[in-house]
Amino acid sequence: MTNLNAVDPAAVAQDAHLESADAVIGKSTIIFRRFMRNKTAVAGLAIFLGLTIFSFIGGYFTPWDKETIDPFNIGMPPSGEHFLGTSQAGIDLYAMTVEGTRISILIGLIVGLVSVLVAAVYGCTMAYFGGKVDKVMLFVLEALIMMPALLVVAVATSGGGEGLKNNLPSWLLLIIVLLVFSWMGTARLIRSLSMSLMQRDFVKAAQYMGVPPRRIVWRHLVPNIGSLLVLDITRGVTGAILAEVAFSFIGIGIKVPDVSLGVLIGGATSQVQTFPWMFWVPLTVMFLLTGSLAMMNDGLRDAFDPSSSSVGKAKKKSAKNSVKEPAK
Amino acid sequence: MSSETYLEPAGPTSHSAAERLQVAGLYSPSDAVLSVRDLHVRFNSENGVVHAVRGVDFDLMPGKTLGIVGESGSGKSVTSLAIMGLLPPTAEIAGSVRLMGRELLGLNDKAMCAYRGNDIAMVFQDPLSSLTPVFTVGAQITEALTIHNPTMSKQAKEARAVELLAMVGIPSPKDRLKAFPHEFSGGMRQRVMIAIAIANNPRVLIADEPTTALDVTIQAQVLEVLQAAQEETGAAVVMITHDLGVVAGIADDIMVMYAGKPVETGQVDDIYYDPRMPYTMGLLGAVPRVDVAEKTSLVPIDGIPPNLIYTPTGCSFAPRCPLVSDACRAGEPELLPAGGKAGHKAACIKSDALGGDADVLEIFSAPPVPLSRFDAIPRGERATVLELKDVRKHFPLTKGALLKRRIGTVKAVDGLSFDIREGECFSIVGESGSGKTTTLLEIMEFHKDQDGEVVIGGLSNKEATTGKVRSAMRRELQMVFQDPTGALDPRFTVYEVLAEPLQNAGLGNRAIKKRIMELMKLVGLQPDHVNRFPNQFSGGQRQRVGIARALAVNPKLVVLDEPVSALDVSVQAGVINLLDQLRAELGLSYLMVAHDLSVVRHISNRVAVMYLGKIVEIGEVDRVFDNPRHPYTRALLSAIPVPDPQLERTRERIILKGDLPSPLDAPKGCNFATRCPVFEALPAAKQEKCLTLEPPLEFVPASSAAQALEAGRLPSLDQQFACFFPDGELDEDMLVVHETAEPHAP
Repeated sequence: MTNLNAVDPAAVAQDAHLESADAVIGKSTIIFRRFMRNKTAVAGLAIFLGLTIFSFIGGYFTPWDKETIDPFNIGMPPSGEHFLGTSQAGIDLYAMTVEGTRISILIGLIVGLVSVLVAAVYGCTMAYFGGKVDKVMLFVLEALIMMPALLVVAVATSGGGEGLKNNLPSWLLLIIVLLVFSWMGTARLIRSLSMSLMQRDFVKAAQYMGVPPRRIVWRHLVPNIGSLLVLDITRGVTGAILAEVAFSFIGIGIKVPDVSLGVLIGGATSQVQTFPWMFWVPLTVMFLLTGSLAMMNDGLRDAFDPSSSSVGKAKKKSAKNSVKEPAK
Repeated sequence: MSSETYLEPAGPTSHSAAERLQVAGLYSPSDAVLSVRDLHVRFNSENGVVHAVRGVDFDLMPGKTLGIVGESGSGKSVTSLAIMGLLPPTAEIAGSVRLMGRELLGLNDKAMCAYRGNDIAMVFQDPLSSLTPVFTVGAQITEALTIHNPTMSKQAKEARAVELLAMVGIPSPKDRLKAFPHEFSGGMRQRVMIAIAIANNPRVLIADEPTTALDVTIQAQVLEVLQAAQEETGAAVVMITHDLGVVAGIADDIMVMYAGKPVETGQVDDIYYDPRMPYTMGLLGAVPRVDVAEKTSLVPIDGIPPNLIYTPTGCSFAPRCPLVSDACRAGEPELLPAGGKAGHKAACIKSDALGGDADVLEIFSAPPVPLSRFDAIPRGERATVLELKDVRKHFPLTKGALLKRRIGTVKAVDGLSFDIREGECFSIVGESGSGKTTTLLEIMEFHKDQDGEVVIGGLSNKEATTGKVRSAMRRELQMVFQDPTGALDPRFTVYEVLAEPLQNAGLGNRAIKKRIMELMKLVGLQPDHVNRFPNQFSGGQRQRVGIARALAVNPKLVVLDEPVSALDVSVQAGVINLLDQLRAELGLSYLMVAHDLSVVRHISNRVAVMYLGKIVEIGEVDRVFDNPRHPYTRALLSAIPVPDPQLERTRERIILKGDLPSPLDAPKGCNFATRCPVFEALPAAKQEKCLTLEPPLEFVPASSAAQALEAGRLPSLDQQFACFFPDGELDEDMLVVHETAEPHAP
């Protein structure tokens, strides 16, 4: 700590250039740097991006598509003509994997992002207003938690809702159903977190400074649950992909002719012994997808967490000759 | 104090003095009960090996008290835990700890259990968390007895538990045995902890900051109990604290620790009156005194303690020492005899030059006392920045889950009126639960439906209906919080923290940047630290950021909620000096809430003493502190420990009975009647008056002598109090004097 009379002379000398803008590093830069320092997370991000790109442009590398049947190659192992072999129906497995990956990623991303968004808005609203609003909203939330999701999915995608089914592709229907049942846990977590944040001194400080409530929520509450939100997005994406796979596997999710990883895995389980490629290829893709997300998750948390040990090199140097808290 | 010893765990039966002497004969009283030699403790951390304790030596004689003093991180608690064998197995401990000649280091956990709680016991800092909430107090005391006395009968154990609770001053101990910890207040729980610690008549009692979490009045009670317990058991006590006042009165020897090493040891008087190490001198100079009216700046010790991952090559205090020379950096000084007194040792190569007449303020170049431009103007002529008129805040107390019945009212703030003028520091003091914080909240969260009027900078809360008026009022009024860590958003860099109020005031980016650089300089922080997150600062620096944020919009009044209570002593001095300086330079007014009366006396001009939501005494700080009229003020002041061993030993103390009464059975008349030492001594007829009538806040009538002296001056002095019998005798039971001395009014 510097004496109150004597500001460090070196600091005074630095004033000139400090008054120009370059001294102030944006927080997004800091977070980005921290994320990039975590090798596992960067690898995860690379795998995830690679899979996403593959799912969109992979189709151009093969003349086959997911509907064309090759009557001369039925249930064939990988070959020059069919990179990953063909299914029992004679459809190119490579084309189907590309298509399935895209659908799975799409479902995962949409469900993950939107459900966290819904949860954040719902949770913060509950916490901010409190009282009766909180009670009613909490009741709705609890009611949804208690509803058997599996049954509703089954009914929505197969039995009931004929009109819906005719107008919507099955993957969109699945997204909607998954969305309805995926945000409650996060919302409840966010509610309790924001409630405890409302009690913190820095929120009080902002209130006493006359900062308007909306800005307090946006600047103090959301960033402080921000790392949780980011974590929940990646977790939600993983969860949604797994749910899609599970539902499709038992036959109530995506329906043929739509393809997804779950449909592919589900279709191939009975013939693992005879046609192993049909089972292992989509399974590997799914593992890569969820695994890369898990790897990213860790790095993101590190980057957002201010108490993390990820300290910049430049910072370390300056910290050494002035102030650094002793390690805990 | 006797210096006897038991080798066998004592039974539940009462011991006669002869019995004790007989046992004592088995063990020579001249030997140390606890002797620590060259104790080293190392911890592995992510960043490297932290050498937390680096060579501690001491001998503890039977019945004596050793005070270990130091800042947080100086290794004092680690030392005590190492002695108790309570450090995690990952800690590397070297050296020797001998309890009555038996080596304790290296014993496994099971072997240590035979000593812990039996020969050597510990009282922890936080009484709220050191008792198990699911067992009754009686069960927890009995547990300590059962473990070390398996053969003891159930009745004997219960009798002993009752005896122990009575010893630590818990009323109706027999019934309280069946009470759970949550039914006790903090002070009572600490008493129970002491009772458990002395249950088996330990030879050594280690008290790790036993009163830090408690109020001053309760602190006085607990220290009293601790001393009584020591007298009763003849145990030697190791008292660990950061408060030089607490140990001044009760310790025989003092060991000052810094960076894991003792830097000065000696008898208590030598340390306080003839310190030979700059760190000790700094610590003593950094503490404001409650009993001194003369205003001097406090001694700030710059810098922070060294990181113990790196072995210091020179004197560990060298980077912060004002007297540092090249010789200091050459090697770590040994603890060598200094000052000529037996047992007085200091680890400083310049200890001989630091005689008794060295001036601490000069050595540490303490800043001069800042003078405000308002000091010259009489108070009555200055503008009022804040005025409270009859502010009340009552909370209903309800019971029942479905149908809520109102069973009472908590009068957190009950008719408060005061005003603060420009350039003035006004403090509110009182125990926790007296309504200080609620008062602050009422001011900070002003709104038009409040019961009472809050006038900020000429604008009343009754007019605050539009956002414009409200934000105008807000701009006059800013707050500094108690906990600097919690008050700063961990996700904001310092720049963002300081920019927030400015953005809110509608400043442009360029102006904000300029203002932030100004603010950083104003509070003594390096401007290039604006990009750091709060967790990269030390506590004192964080509090400076908090102060800078409060000053950002140029408020007239800054509300300080215990601004230094979370900080270390040496850092605290720097922040207090800063506050003092800012008040003078910027013409600020402060409204401060604090429980530390020494700090209050140091920086305030006026003070109000609150008790159960009411002001019981208000006035100019020197008048109130030097001539307190209300018995509660007198008790509060007498409870403050002073870092002056001789004064502390001879001082008369008013030990209040019990805790704040629960709001449900708040007295009808004078709130303080239940604990009042004057009331206790009053004849019944006068007691009736206290119980039925509420004493109003009245001006101090000038005594006849004063009237003669001050003839022609203003009729009333700036001091008001609410008591019918301010000159009444004090009840003798509540008075404690340790050594015979001339009785003097506190």
